[in-house]
Amino acid sequence: MAAFTLWWQMHAWRTPEVLASTRFSSPDGGEHLSFSLLLPARHEQAVLDHTIQRLLESSHTDFEIIVIVGHDDPETTEVACEAAERDPRVRVVVDTHEKKNKPRAMNTALPHCRGDVVGVFDAEDQVHPELLAHVDHAFRSTDADVVQGGVQLINFNSSWYSLRNCLEYFFWFRSRLHLHAQKGFIPLGGNTVFVRTDVLRAADGWDPDCLAEDCDLGVRLSSIGKKVVVAYDSDMVTKEETPGSLMSLLKQRTRWNQGFLQVYRKKDWKQLPGFGQRLLARYTLMTPYLQAISGVIIPLNVAVALFLDVPVGIAFITFLPAVTAFVTFVFELVGLHDFGKQYGLRVRFVHYLKLIVGGPFYQVLLAGAAVRAVWREQQGRNDWELTSHVGAHLTDVGAARALEATEATEAAAVATRGSREDVPA
Amino acid sequence: MTSTLPAVTTPKVPAQRTPVPKTGSTPRTTPLPSRLRTSRADLILCGVLLVVVMTVQGWNIADYPALSDDEGTYLAQAWSVQQGNGLAHYTYWYDHPPLGWIQIALLTWIPSLISPESMTVGSMRIVMLLVSAISAVLVYVVARRLWLPRWAAGLAMLLFGLSPLSVVLQREIFLDNIAVMWTLVAFCLAASPSRHLWHHFGAGIAAAAAVLTKETMIFVLPAVMITMWRHSHRDTRKFALTGAITACVLIGMSYPLFALLKGELFPGGGHVSLWDGLEYQLTRPGSGFILDQGSGSYGVLQSWLYYDRVLPLGGLAGALLLLVTWRWSVTARALAGPAFTVAILALVALRPTGYLPAMYVIQALPFLALVLAGGAASVAHGVLRRWRSTDEREFVTRARYAVAALLVAASAAYVVPRWYDGDRTAVTADANAPYRAASKWLATEVDHPEDTRVLVDDALWLDLVHAGYEPGLGVIWFYKADLDPAVTKTMPGGWRDIDYVVASPTVRRDAADLPNVKQAMRHSTPVATFGKGPDRIEIRQVRGGSTASTASTTGTADTADEATTGGDR
Repeated sequence: MAAFTLWWQMHAWRTPEVLASTRFSSPDGGEHLSFSLLLPARHEQAVLDHTIQRLLESSHTDFEIIVIVGHDDPETTEVACEAAERDPRVRVVVDTHEKKNKPRAMNTALPHCRGDVVGVFDAEDQVHPELLAHVDHAFRSTDADVVQGGVQLINFNSSWYSLRNCLEYFFWFRSRLHLHAQKGFIPLGGNTVFVRTDVLRAADGWDPDCLAEDCDLGVRLSSIGKKVVVAYDSDMVTKEETPGSLMSLLKQRTRWNQGFLQVYRKKDWKQLPGFGQRLLARYTLMTPYLQAISGVIIPLNVAVALFLDVPVGIAFITFLPAVTAFVTFVFELVGLHDFGKQYGLRVRFVHYLKLIVGGPFYQVLLAGAAVRAVWREQQGRNDWELTSHVGAHLTDVGAARALEATEATEAAAVATRGSREDVPA
Repeated sequence: MTSTLPAVTTPKVPAQRTPVPKTGSTPRTTPLPSRLRTSRADLILCGVLLVVVMTVQGWNIADYPALSDDEGTYLAQAWSVQQGNGLAHYTYWYDHPPLGWIQIALLTWIPSLISPESMTVGSMRIVMLLVSAISAVLVYVVARRLWLPRWAAGLAMLLFGLSPLSVVLQREIFLDNIAVMWTLVAFCLAASPSRHLWHHFGAGIAAAAAVLTKETMIFVLPAVMITMWRHSHRDTRKFALTGAITACVLIGMSYPLFALLKGELFPGGGHVSLWDGLEYQLTRPGSGFILDQGSGSYGVLQSWLYYDRVLPLGGLAGALLLLVTWRWSVTARALAGPAFTVAILALVALRPTGYLPAMYVIQALPFLALVLAGGAASVAHGVLRRWRSTDEREFVTRARYAVAALLVAASAAYVVPRWYDGDRTAVTADANAPYRAASKWLATEVDHPEDTRVLVDDALWLDLVHAGYEPGLGVIWFYKADLDPAVTKTMPGGWRDIDYVVASPTVRRDAADLPNVKQAMRHSTPVATFGKGPDRIEIRQVRGGSTASTASTTGTADTADEATTGGDR
């Protein structure tokens, strides 16, 4: 199991040719598609304006920005309306759902989209001005229905877990997602994702009740045979930051895991034509739980081999998982080096040390999130009312974010929140 | 229907299989076909050469060269593995990592199922033919992957397979031959034209397998790394190299882990340990400086040169040439790995105080062959192509070909007669008649083999096991009678508890340092002698307790052929 993960994690680096194929190709200058960029914002008045301004700096000539705000969120609405007055390309859509979440907000905005392609960003994203031109070219040159761009956490030195979290994103977007695209089963990321508007409308938009609506959309689209293209360029990625606290990271993880489990249970993936694809789907959606299990089993195995009196042959076999885990570890170190190189960041010795020492603790965190997700899902099923439970959970997260947002206001325009990056890793 | 972006950026990545060197003159190598295995010319050439090499190596394999003590050791331990008796029928004491004879056990498994009696050194040499065949093909593939032209790859394969030195050594059941095969696999994967991460990973695993088969292969690892470095792409190199090193280290660690799990990693009371084994191997009495006449190492060197001078000396010269011309020659850079291997192995052999086993040269053979063939390709290019302009006068071109033909003729005139003689001996001589006769005598003339205790060298041990002697304590590896506490405690009377000594050259040589064996030799008389001179084999019956038979002064001083039988135990 660890061996599979490793195999897939290293997908992009298998050969130089594969690595080259994971990048965006250079745009040819022609721009033919129009974009509608969805920007759901909730209690994010501190950073929203900055994000809108950056998006408006895009070199692409034909796009609109649709900011989606809640009817109960006057501060954010105010910021959005100001931006709309300044620039005609910005429009505001108010979401009036009682229980608010991201998929509902986006579904609200979907009928208002005028562009050929709908793109999704988060309110705190830093988007590269050239990105739209590249995506435009990717759509036209590959005849894709969906283009997934790269998302990268970059504040690797703010805490021990942010380092690991950054690296997770790095491996996921740099490598693993390309493999998924190639195999024809892909859980999409939560932002920097672009879908042709007609395709999206035909698919009825996002699932309003799913905790991982992005993953769900990807699974549904790839199950009906839509073509998904993934491209990663280190200077073209959307930059984000890790969740501000360990607790919010845990909550974010719990939500993803639970979302994955929901997607798994929706069984859309069973329509995939290939047996291998279905297996990959099953495996990918179950990953959080396998991860949790292996986190417990590996140390146990080594302990059994060393301290109990078992035959040498069996003891050897119990070491195998530890070996693959070790190889993964080593590749993570090299990945960190590559990450530093690609983003021009100085990775010091202490970071490598942190990566190693933090590894087991991070594993515990992941296992904790997995257990928590299973428990919550179980609770949700008991009282049937899945959505109401989901809503409670989201408000929960929303509150945490609101709190962080106020902190962020104090820290001026620095975007230090998270918990809405809907990227499984 | 999903996919990644098509590789529109391919121009950024240098086309595969174009030679790395950017300097240098005109391209001198025939472009590699997209896949070697689909190239008809390569397949035919390689196949034909393989048949030739296998014929020469396989013909008369059981009777020449003389059975070596070490072959007996490894095969007996492989037999023990097959029988499910652990890694050795005596206590395994970490003399070598066990992977080598585990592989021999696998190779001989099916033949020994069909006919258990065939599990003897002479008849099981046949499995080494398989190892040699794989190695020979790998030499060809490595040569092609290192951008040598087809003819030079064929030459390398021939040099490797037909040198009388190779023929003699590759026929024997030595761990080194198997380790060489793994090293070649590592080189082959390291130079993989697709530069696939998992190929490099595999190269690391193969390199570790080589080291676990024969620990001296550890010296070759840097050369594998160099090859991998040169053949990997800048963008993926750090992952490739890290993967290879990690794989190699992890697999290599399984040996200490094995010792740890058995509680035998460190020395302690009453058990063997990996540490002790290593200490023994590292502190073996040196055999002197290799160029110092009269030293043991010098003798070993002479024994190699006795069989062939072309490959060892020519290859060494070729390696030096390639290393010196590194800056100017494309071939030199392409062959950096093999040239470096030869250089390292030569330097290790030149240690003044080290121990130089007779089979040491085996691990250098494929690389000597590659380097020599590369040197030939380099010279051929120099003669035929260098400074050649498109409007070169015709007579100059003809002169070039004349010089080339002259060089070919001269080297053929030097090499062919010598190799013909050497290889003819190999396919005709019978060096093992005394062994077979001794084995037959002990199987037929002794009344109760199951109750008889015989000191014997390792080469004959399995024969006697099949003849009904009790393995381990009935038929005894002669040196165990002095060195293994588990054996000596069954011999309270010392030499008096022994019935026969089979005095082969190895036994006579080593008896000087083994009191029990020495006494048994002294208190015994020959009842049958096979062969003549220093190579003879005597079956000596111990005269129970009597000190009368001191007549056996023939004993312990036959050290004449020490060099060629220098053991690696």
